Amino acid sequence: MSTRTAQRLTVGRIPGLLFTLALVVIAVVFFFPMLWMVFSSFKSNSAIFSTPFALPTEIDFGRWAEAWEVGHIGQYALNSAIVTGASVFGILLLGAAAAFAFSRYRFRGRNLLMGLLALGLLLPLQSYFIAQSTLFTQLAITDTRWALIIPYTAMGLPLAVYLLKVYLDAVPDELFEAARIDGAGDLRVFGSIALPLLRPGLATVAIFSALSSWNEFLLALLYIQDDALKTIPTGLLAFSSRYVTDYGLLFSALSIVTLPMIIIYIVFNKQIVDGITAGSVK
Amino acid sequence: MKPNRRVTPYLFLVPAMAVFGFAVLFPVVMTFAYSFTEWNGYGTMQFVGLDNYIEAANDVLFRDSFLHVVLYIAATILLEVAVGLVLAGLVSVKRRGSLWFRVAIFTPVMLPMVVVAVLWAFVYNNDFGLLNAALVNFGLEDLQRVWLGDPATALLAVSVVSGWVYAGFYMTIFYAAFSQVPTEVIEAARLDGAGEWQLFRRIKVPMIRNAITVSLLLCITGGFQGFDLFYVMTNGGPYGATEIPTTYLVKSVFTFGNVGYGSAMAMVLTAVVVALGLVFARVNREKPEKVNA
Amino acid sequence: MTDRRKVTTGAVAALSATALILTGCSAGGGSSDDNVLRVAMGSPGEAQIRVWDDVAAQFEAANPDVTVEMNYQNDDLYQTIGLPNLLNGRNAPDIYFEWAGARLEQRAADGFAADLTEAVTTGPIAGLFDDEVFSSLTVDDAVVMVPHAADVTNVLWYNEDIFAENGLTPPTTWDELLATCDALDAEGIIPIASGNKDLWAAGNWLAHLTSRVVGEDVYSSALSGETDFDTPEWVEAFGYVKELADHNCVNESANAVDDNEGAQLFFQGKAAMHAIGSWLVSWAIDEAPGLNFDYVNLPSMPGKGNQDSVIGVVTGYVVNAKSSNQDLAAEFLALLNSDENVQAFIGAELTPMALSASDGEEVDSRSAKLLDMLETAPAIVLPPDNGYDLETANALYAALAEVLGGQSSPEDAVAGIDNKLS
Repeated sequence: MSTRTAQRLTVGRIPGLLFTLALVVIAVVFFFPMLWMVFSSFKSNSAIFSTPFALPTEIDFGRWAEAWEVGHIGQYALNSAIVTGASVFGILLLGAAAAFAFSRYRFRGRNLLMGLLALGLLLPLQSYFIAQSTLFTQLAITDTRWALIIPYTAMGLPLAVYLLKVYLDAVPDELFEAARIDGAGDLRVFGSIALPLLRPGLATVAIFSALSSWNEFLLALLYIQDDALKTIPTGLLAFSSRYVTDYGLLFSALSIVTLPMIIIYIVFNKQIVDGITAGSVK
Repeated sequence: MKPNRRVTPYLFLVPAMAVFGFAVLFPVVMTFAYSFTEWNGYGTMQFVGLDNYIEAANDVLFRDSFLHVVLYIAATILLEVAVGLVLAGLVSVKRRGSLWFRVAIFTPVMLPMVVVAVLWAFVYNNDFGLLNAALVNFGLEDLQRVWLGDPATALLAVSVVSGWVYAGFYMTIFYAAFSQVPTEVIEAARLDGAGEWQLFRRIKVPMIRNAITVSLLLCITGGFQGFDLFYVMTNGGPYGATEIPTTYLVKSVFTFGNVGYGSAMAMVLTAVVVALGLVFARVNREKPEKVNA
Repeated sequence: MTDRRKVTTGAVAALSATALILTGCSAGGGSSDDNVLRVAMGSPGEAQIRVWDDVAAQFEAANPDVTVEMNYQNDDLYQTIGLPNLLNGRNAPDIYFEWAGARLEQRAADGFAADLTEAVTTGPIAGLFDDEVFSSLTVDDAVVMVPHAADVTNVLWYNEDIFAENGLTPPTTWDELLATCDALDAEGIIPIASGNKDLWAAGNWLAHLTSRVVGEDVYSSALSGETDFDTPEWVEAFGYVKELADHNCVNESANAVDDNEGAQLFFQGKAAMHAIGSWLVSWAIDEAPGLNFDYVNLPSMPGKGNQDSVIGVVTGYVVNAKSSNQDLAAEFLALLNSDENVQAFIGAELTPMALSASDGEEVDSRSAKLLDMLETAPAIVLPPDNGYDLETANALYAALAEVLGGQSSPEDAVAGIDNKLS
């Protein structure tokens, strides 16, 4: 209560209105490119050229359907979903298992292995993607979904292990000991005690891993040439060079890709923000 | 149980370490090895010692690419971290109803950079782009230019897009940090007659110094690794004005087939990023803070 | 309890699956499916994609146990990293698009070009082409490519309506070109549209221009790395590019937009001319059906080269020497050049090189004229990026872009090329 009174005192009524207005203006400036994109998706080339600010004369989702169809957006989205889903699953499972080992066991080489993973937090993509690409080419992994799932999983692991280990370290030993005394094996302890306890941590890891896999571009550009396997970023780029001169269609495709992300963000905004802030503080 | 237990942790670790070793560690070692060779990616490989590193040191284009990325990082520190900080300050003054605001500002973070890049290439388009059209509407025709085609503005134009995306990201981090500043501290300062600006400058910002340090690290190391925006919007042009190390080495390796030389450049870049990361890690350790993001 | 057990068994299953997948991946590479015929190319545009898909369907109908997989890549990507990656990767194409010249020789040297001599002399492709065309497609006495089309990679397209409205005639000499630029610029019309972000679009055009000035031999030897660029004749050639810039001949955004956006300026009637290759005709079908446009070859330049030279390249399809379906591939290429499909490609504004193409009646007059121009050209100039080393081509293109954009003087630009290549 007292906070709010204090706020009223300092901000006051009229400045408060101005303040809100300022926020609105900033938000509109930030949001405008996206609005323009959606408006333009309903326009013809000549309308985009001659009246960039005008509202579209008609809202025809036929353009969107056309973009979805000819742009193979559905295929790209499916590929992105498969690659992201598999990578996130891999990161969670492998990351939790590794975090469990680091947190609950003392063993030879522990510090070395943890150090190697910690190095992964610092290493930029540039340090490995050249040799990774020749390796994948030699093993004939390129142009399969594995060419993305494997590196995305590997890239997500260091941070996942680090964060999940922090969660597990906070769990009192007694919980695990009690289970052991009941005769539970290591795998049981991991599966029935550690994993459930890790749930909030796993959700956080899942969110930022999913976002980075969904949006990754450079490796997808290098490893996937087959149009049927492209993910949204590279697929959209391919689309934009195939149908470049039909701007309305291109804006439709951009809108189709953008809107679900906005909706996902509005619905899961708290989880996403938590995930991203936790993910960034590595 | 006992003898078994000794193997157990390794069993839990094997899958993760196998994938990480296969896709990251082994390639790092190999890239390092390639950097001492001349190789086109499939033909015969020739050991050339330090030649590639000497070439990199004397390569004006490579040096320029570092200059560009440093300028870009400087711009993004302002446009992302500083703007994000100010936005978070604004929002934290007035929490109620700020969700829609945070949604509007944060949304770009969710989009693939390629989508952002394609969209903004249109915003900057000389012939029907939003920016030039807006300048006409405000009577500022003189400011119109070919934003991505003018070497004087191209780098800044790309930085602005980066700012558009990440200002919301840093705002979110700082907003979370601000909300952990104890209310008593703020109350006390208010009672002493501090205004909102003073509160922001003297109390809130100092108290989230850790979050700011981390954000700067993210912004700097992330900047060195930038690629998507540059590749799609300018591909290094105009006249090489936006050539950054990654676009340059990608061209070198994958267009011209200079795997050895590209690997050497990649190693130089890696050394810079890792060194910065270690410096920041040390700085952060020396100044422990209570409030973190 | 059941829940927990599920978690545990699930975890075990997933872990072993991961192990399997990892080993499976590294062991299973290389072998490609025998019943799939893979065809790779840079995207030829919507109209021609329809024909290609139809050819694929015909082939599948005739060979019920075979599936044809078409892979249309981004043009620029295909030319640079796309094709090498495909060839070295799993599911390598059985048939792939290539440009005749240095690139084709490289493919043959790397072991990716099958010997097609038999197929074109006595096999399924015999009799479809004039035998003479194979001379330029032969490496070490083996025919390694089946031609499909010849691209004139640069002419000067002009909008007939804009020219008529302004009382202009298509320029045939350098001075006329500059005068035309001045007249159009004064009217607020972009004289020549160019989308040169990726450097090849204006690069091709301006390279042709320089070849007219320095002469075809000097052009070729410099691009082959035998002679330097930093010579008075190259400086003189670049000086003409500077004149283009001084006369505002190209759109201000030339170096910021890509080739498609450049074409759009021409299609929208914002630019009176457009310097680009023969593929513009097929683009225009979909993009600007009502546009009245025609072309002239590059105006004659004051210089040592042949002033009627044409810049162009033969393109076609190579059968991968590592393919296990080489016979099927030859049959596919024969079907591609069957009378019926040749007519379909003509309908999509590509003029195939097959003999039957000249029997057709519906060839767009512009396309036919272009092919005729190439066939009767007194000198053919190879585009730098298709005919020569890509790194050299790129250095030349970058220098041309700098001068066109008013960023460098001709002297600095040519010196820069040698520096970059040393």
